[in-house]
Amino acid sequence: MKQKLLLAASMLALALQATPSAAQSPAELNDLQIAHVAYVADNIDIRYAHLALAISSNPAIHEFARTMIRDHTAVNEQALALLKKLNAQPQDNFLSKQLTVNSEKLIDEMSQLRGAAFDKRYAENELAYHKAVNDLVGNAFIPNIENAEVKSLFEAGLKIFKAHEHHAEMMVKSVSK
Amino acid sequence: MSRRSFMKKTAAAIAAAAFPALPFAIAQPRTHRVEISGFKFTPDRLDVSVGDTVTWINRDIAPHTATAAEGGWDTGELVKGAQASITVTADMETSYFCAFHPMMKARLSITASDQ
Repeated sequence: MKQKLLLAASMLALALQATPSAAQSPAELNDLQIAHVAYVADNIDIRYAHLALAISSNPAIHEFARTMIRDHTAVNEQALALLKKLNAQPQDNFLSKQLTVNSEKLIDEMSQLRGAAFDKRYAENELAYHKAVNDLVGNAFIPNIENAEVKSLFEAGLKIFKAHEHHAEMMVKSVSK
Repeated sequence: MSRRSFMKKTAAAIAAAAFPALPFAIAQPRTHRVEISGFKFTPDRLDVSVGDTVTWINRDIAPHTATAAEGGWDTGELVKGAQASITVTADMETSYFCAFHPMMKARLSITASDQ
């Protein structure tokens, strides 16, 4: 029995440590590349939130930003714990790089704004960002993830990000008044 | 009547005199459980009585709270798997939400205690 379990664990580890492919579309990414994109996407939103805490003086924006930091940190901790359990490492890829480059530009742009202009831009970006990520996770990632535990984590993550999208909609309405 | 039998009957009579049957049963405080899962409180409407305990358990990855709408009571942050309890009082606020995700709302309905 113990040998069977060890064999199954080894096979799972091999499947997860797939050779990095030169994927050029989100649907072609393997599980470890998808995990890397999600980790990068979480950290980008955490960076946006820290920027909001530094620039905005709107209590509602602060509360939202703290929630983004709290929730995305929790998701990343779960993701890292799962990867550790599976003895796997996330793999850098074209989409992770693209997200990072885009976020750097946006942070530069938002850093120039102050007051209501910043709050509006931050809230609108949070809504657009979560819409885009939810579309990616729901339509490109979850249908293509092979590992059941990784898929389950992404399904749980999607519920959180959809709640964030709804929350961001409320923020946009609030700062547009 | 033997001496032992006499003693038993006497003890029973004394007990009956000291503890007459109560006109109604005393309701014991109950513990209610509210699960937080998928960004929802379940149940989102809960009938409780004064003295009962409500326990919230978070099953989500995201931390949540159960916080009175006007801030009168608060479980504090509940990380995944954590739980917290509040004892129901007559004057407590009944509408509550998650302070981190304000779209998550629920309500307690406090019925008259039958104690």
